[in-house]
Amino acid sequence: MKRRTQQTLLGYTFMLPIFLFYSVFLIIPLGFSLILSFSEWGGFDLSLIRFVGWRNYEDLFSPWSDFLNPILWNTFYYAFGTVFLSFIAALTVAYLVTKLRFQAFWRTMYFLPTVTTVVAIGNVWAYLYHPHGGMINGLLNALGMPTIRFLANPDTALPAIVVVGAWAGIGAAVLILTAGVKAIPETYYEAAMIEGASEWRLFFNITLPLLKPSILFVLITGLIGGLQSFTLIMVMTGDGGPGNATNVAALEMYNQAFRFGNWGLASSMAYTLFIVVFIITAIQLLVFRRGGVESY
Amino acid sequence: MKQKTPWLAYAIIAIGVITMVFPFLDMVFTAFKGPAELMSVRYRLFPDEFRFSNFQQAVRSLNMGLLFMNSMIVSFSVTGLVLLTSTLGGYALTKLEFPGRDVIFRFILATMMFPAFLFLIPNFYIMVNFPFVNIDGGLAATRWALILPFSVSGFGVFLMRQFIMGIPNALLDAARIDGASEFRIFGQIVVPMTLPALATLAIFTFIGQWNEFIWSLLIYTVNNRLATLPVGIQMLQSHLDPTLTQALVSAGLTISVVPVFVVFVFLQKYYVRGLALSGLKE
Repeated sequence: MKRRTQQTLLGYTFMLPIFLFYSVFLIIPLGFSLILSFSEWGGFDLSLIRFVGWRNYEDLFSPWSDFLNPILWNTFYYAFGTVFLSFIAALTVAYLVTKLRFQAFWRTMYFLPTVTTVVAIGNVWAYLYHPHGGMINGLLNALGMPTIRFLANPDTALPAIVVVGAWAGIGAAVLILTAGVKAIPETYYEAAMIEGASEWRLFFNITLPLLKPSILFVLITGLIGGLQSFTLIMVMTGDGGPGNATNVAALEMYNQAFRFGNWGLASSMAYTLFIVVFIITAIQLLVFRRGGVESY
Repeated sequence: MKQKTPWLAYAIIAIGVITMVFPFLDMVFTAFKGPAELMSVRYRLFPDEFRFSNFQQAVRSLNMGLLFMNSMIVSFSVTGLVLLTSTLGGYALTKLEFPGRDVIFRFILATMMFPAFLFLIPNFYIMVNFPFVNIDGGLAATRWALILPFSVSGFGVFLMRQFIMGIPNALLDAARIDGASEFRIFGQIVVPMTLPALATLAIFTFIGQWNEFIWSLLIYTVNNRLATLPVGIQMLQSHLDPTLTQALVSAGLTISVVPVFVVFVFLQKYYVRGLALSGLKE
């Protein structure tokens, strides 16, 4: 009996920093920003918070709002675009790299952007795209093609950033997919090869089906990350320009709060995006329960 | 079954590796370039001469001494605090019996589902105004503003809990019978046994914090003495014409990125394990 009380006391003592942290940085902020999302507030003085009901949310979803189109559209474009591109690249790498010598070295190279700050990635790529002295336009010109102002042209700006986001995300996807590829027993391939199966059939009939849990995991977690991502766009374009061409939901939230001082509206954007992300996370959990791969 | 050398696979992987490494090479070489080369329409990878003075100028105009110190202090403090809180939490959640333990663990798991952007607005307000008396700038007057919001990591607690679960209870009970106090058991038996997991968590946390940008940027807007490396370099980039500053920005980035690459290449085993467990990079 005495030991139980002692353990309880010790347990709560050990957990105390965590309790304090989540109270101050999670529970109070969640409540505070939920209240803000139903209010109008310019920051600073708490007594100036004015309750406005659902008006912020109505503004977001009104037909003339920028938030649905192009901002939320861009958000999905960016998330699906980066996930799709980096998945295709990572699958190719993960499948081929297991056949090579010095695997670990090759994989390390794909990993470099993962340990690099977004400020470096964004600036380096913005300069690669630059019309004066950038490598990509230098290459285009050398091939006799005209200069493209990738980040200044509304038609090319978002796709150009999607390429960078995908490039930066390859490493993490390679890691998970390689683990999946390696887990497939070699005997499956040997048996198929004795039957005379081609390289393509090995890939499509053995690797791909057996890799399904890893693939789903990469796609869904990548999608969740992509929907929230905005720092790369901020570093490369500043404010999501030209116009709203590269503006995404989390960046618009940031700008509304910290540039224009519309803290209430910004909070309603945060909650809207949170609900979108939450639904996808819930789907992920559901899919993985059903697939019996809870260990991921 | 021995196959012939897969040349096509080597070629594809090599092209991919060039794509991954080239931007960093371009960054390093741009750091040595002069204004004429940066204005030129023609692209060359190599600078016409290696201007080491660019690095000196970057260090001076970026005030890199301050940036470096801020980044170091913040990254080390956050890493230390995360290791401490995660080990304490992980231990309590596996080896100590107390009411509500499982509910608390599920709650910590659930916190990892909340996206970071949701907390930017309220946490910024709290940080700048805490402790809500007349202190100018609140906690944002000190480096605590950059450290405290990262001092507990749900992932860290999860990682340490998984690892400490593997320590046999019999070992701890034996120590209790020998009369060791609970604190001694924690400090002299549990902590030494968790070193591999602590290494993973430490490297993962340190690199993540070294690269952290958005929160540091917000705090910088209220107190520019708290600029970290990513923030300081980004500020130089956004205020001036890129053809004038690209060499300095690249020099600054080279100084801040290369140490991480070195750490990563030597300790990647631990880092990759952390990433594989987190399953998702922010």
